[in-house]
Amino acid sequence: MNTQTPFIRVSNLNYQYPDGTHALWDINLEIYEGEFIAFIGQNGSGKTTLSKCLNGLFKPTSGDVIVEDLNSKTSSIVQMVRRVGYVFQNPDHQLFNNNCWDEIAYGPRNIQLPEEQVKERVEEAAQVVGLPERYFSEHPFFLSKGLRQRVAIASILALRPKLIIVDEPTTGQDARQSFEIMDFLKDLNENHGHIIVIITHDMPIVAAYARRVVAMGQGRILADGPTAEVFKQTELLAQTFLEPPQITQLAQRVQDLGYDPGTLTVESMVAQHIALHASQDNP
Amino acid sequence: MNKTLLGYVPKESPIYFIHPFVKLYFLLVVSLFPMFITQPEVNLFIMAVILLLMIWSRVDLRILRIYVPVAIAMGWIILLSYTVLGGTHPEFELLAKVLGIKIYWERLRDGVVVYCRILPMIATMVFFLTTSRERDVIVAMRSVRIPFVVTYVFAMALRSSGMVLEDFQIVRQAEQARGFDTTGKSLGYKIRKYVMYMIPLFALSLRRTEEFTNALVARGYAFTGEAAKVKRADYILTHYSFKLHDGILVALISILFIIILTLRYGYNAFSLDSSLLINWLYQILR
Amino acid sequence: MVHLIEIENYSWQYLNTPQEALKNINLKIEQGSFVGIIGPNGAGKTTLAYSMDGLIPGQYRGLKHGVVKIRGIEVEEYPRGRLQQMVGMVFSDPEAQFTAMTVEDELVFGMENLGMSLPEIRERLEWVTELTELKHLLLKPPYEISGGQKQRVALAAVLAMTPEVLILDEPTSMLDPVSRKRVFEVLQKLKQSQNTVIVIEHSLENLIPLADRMILLADGEIALDAETGEFFQRLDLLLEKGISPPGAMRFFYELTQKNLYHGRLPLTVDEAAALLRGAA
Ligand SMILES: Nc1ncnc2c1ncn2[C@@H]1O[C@H](COP(=O)(O)OP(=O)(O)OP(=O)(O)O)[C@@H](O)[C@H]1O
Ligand SMILES: Nc1ncnc2c1ncn2[C@@H]1O[C@H](COP(=O)(O)OP(=O)(O)OP(=O)(O)O)[C@@H](O)[C@H]1O
Ligand SMILES: [Mg+2]
Ligand SMILES: [Mg+2]
Repeated sequence: MNTQTPFIRVSNLNYQYPDGTHALWDINLEIYEGEFIAFIGQNGSGKTTLSKCLNGLFKPTSGDVIVEDLNSKTSSIVQMVRRVGYVFQNPDHQLFNNNCWDEIAYGPRNIQLPEEQVKERVEEAAQVVGLPERYFSEHPFFLSKGLRQRVAIASILALRPKLIIVDEPTTGQDARQSFEIMDFLKDLNENHGHIIVIITHDMPIVAAYARRVVAMGQGRILADGPTAEVFKQTELLAQTFLEPPQITQLAQRVQDLGYDPGTLTVESMVAQHIALHASQDNP
Repeated sequence: MNKTLLGYVPKESPIYFIHPFVKLYFLLVVSLFPMFITQPEVNLFIMAVILLLMIWSRVDLRILRIYVPVAIAMGWIILLSYTVLGGTHPEFELLAKVLGIKIYWERLRDGVVVYCRILPMIATMVFFLTTSRERDVIVAMRSVRIPFVVTYVFAMALRSSGMVLEDFQIVRQAEQARGFDTTGKSLGYKIRKYVMYMIPLFALSLRRTEEFTNALVARGYAFTGEAAKVKRADYILTHYSFKLHDGILVALISILFIIILTLRYGYNAFSLDSSLLINWLYQILR
Repeated sequence: MVHLIEIENYSWQYLNTPQEALKNINLKIEQGSFVGIIGPNGAGKTTLAYSMDGLIPGQYRGLKHGVVKIRGIEVEEYPRGRLQQMVGMVFSDPEAQFTAMTVEDELVFGMENLGMSLPEIRERLEWVTELTELKHLLLKPPYEISGGQKQRVALAAVLAMTPEVLILDEPTSMLDPVSRKRVFEVLQKLKQSQNTVIVIEHSLENLIPLADRMILLADGEIALDAETGEFFQRLDLLLEKGISPPGAMRFFYELTQKNLYHGRLPLTVDEAAALLRGAA
């Protein structure tokens, strides 16, 4: 698929929790520079577990996770998190400092940057996620859901990892917040050179933003490819408790009228509709 | 594997054949044994037996690693408080004088005896915690008809400590995800960092308390008043039944306890004079 | 006639906050209805849900004005625990709802509080674990499972109690699409057996076909309250408040904007497909 060397290469990865739950089976995956990927799959299929393996929080039970030239088994967590950032499924799980400033500064301080640079990174991260300065002294718990999510992302961003994994970034967010967060991730991807991985159950979001989809089921990767290709495989999706976004379902329903079953967005559906009717009106 | 109060036990383990009440009884009675036994080697023997029981129950023994430093630290504290901080006792036998501090044989001996008493007590506790789940404790208490309110207060205490442990894990992962790493760092550094854990944990647990009472109320749980008067079905109790072998075990534990008491008070067994270990120690130190 | 839920001129302000979280709410809900509540973040949806469950003002401190009555009785007048046995609530953060150390204990806890008999508990446990696919997780602690599994536990624990009134605060936000659908199928069954169901959701796809009535909350006030079909004909207002309609509906809305379609917006994929076929 790609000739360059991958940023991450996962080979034959297995992971077992301390209680014996075998959450990942023989995962093989490569992630390249510039990609925007969505991990999708039914509840308990191993998306969160895989992400935690990618940033070194979990060490493989067997197999390897190789990030650039580092093997997660033999690298320290500090080396790993400077390359791969993971934003937790529940942002409340990762906010533990007394104010937003310290929260964002926590990472840079941990990797022993001088206070000068810490300041620089906090300001930059806060600016990128759009966290106004007046919130710096606020306690993260008392912010709104949308802002908490931003602080969580900013706290990871401050470590400047190449790859950022965001676990369910839009859960519990209203439509406006969701689009803002997603647009911001898109900006990170297109203009700041970050590789983005999102985990989500929101198929319209996947369709609108991800260029590649990795579908998981029962600890294995079931499909991996360009978004439109994966969404066409309705049977396979059903197997892993997924379904394409509503607009794609509609297009598939009226496929015989000339709509593309790989339609991903309302905008493209509208464009097709206009084209179809224009051709009908003037045969 | 099943998660217990501390650690994990495999899905298949002989410990499941034992009724929770027996485990609780074991904890309560066996941890009393050392109080009647002065002889250190007997206490050490009890500890060894308990460790064997843990192996027999197929407890993941890696959990013990966290107790080793605790046990060693406690040993030092006891030793120091009995010797260095022991004060002046002209009636005792002076072994040595280090930097003006007088080390007496009797104090040293008592330190060793106390330490060897504490070890099996801790081992009993750890055995219980690693093989029991919170529900076991509740079942044990409920099966001897302890009122629900009492059991429940107790269970709440267990649950909230369980939750603090969960939160601890959560904060730990969050810190690691941002480059926090103690491997290869000095003990002092680790201790300082552990203090730092505690602050967010405190804030978290305050919030948890609020969430937790909300959750209880929202599920129609009432501690007092009309709603508390419903007859509870105690569903979990139905998973357990008190079998013949459970009765035998309780009887055995009781008999053992009576034997120890009889030997101790009737025959003056387990005394210091009969301790080979203490005599041997005395020989080399004197 | 006494309505099941009657809210009159109700306002609530949390202690130490500058403004009211809910302002002058007037709302009547009948027995057996299925109501969807939507609105942007911070609109006051959760606060309204807590108010109907008695958690507000019971567990929170603040200023209350007006009346919230359930079955004609003010929520404050119910003895602690009584109201909640009748009105069940699924929290938006499943972890905030856990009270036990195993999934099984968690599911049984509420049923025991209701004083159910052993056979009944066993039967419902069977039903609810089947439904939410939790059987293999019964002995695990509710903390050591995946996000969506946690949410199923939270949901199952309240479903098992099958309270007369069920309030669900974003109950499917972490579920995969198929499980989400399945939950709504269960809610439909509850509706058929005359339980009153109130659902708060951001994702509308599954809610719309079931809801008899939709309420839009914005800035602590009811901005729109109408029968579902009518409600969505006001799509411009919804869009202005930051609500995102499901794809099929938005498609037709876009067509309307471009003067390519006139008429009612379809609520479901079925309706939309039929419209396209009719138009072709
Ligand atoms: N701490 C844990 N201990 C033991 N097992 C766990 C733990 N966390 C998750 N699991 C199990 O591992 C499997 C994979 O979980 P994971 O959290 O990776 O799923 P997921 O794909 O992220 O699901 P979701 O969409 O629900 O978040 C599940 O079967 C889950 O029950
Ligand atoms: N415990 C609390 N103490 C003080 N203020 C609160 C509390 N809970 C909520 N608020 C405030 O009340 C308002 C309404 O919040 P609420 O949680 O009801 O909104 P919501 O509609 O449920 O939002 P979301 O979609 O984010 O869940 C917000 O401004 C919020 O900051
Ligand atoms: Mg997950
Ligand atoms: Mg809410």
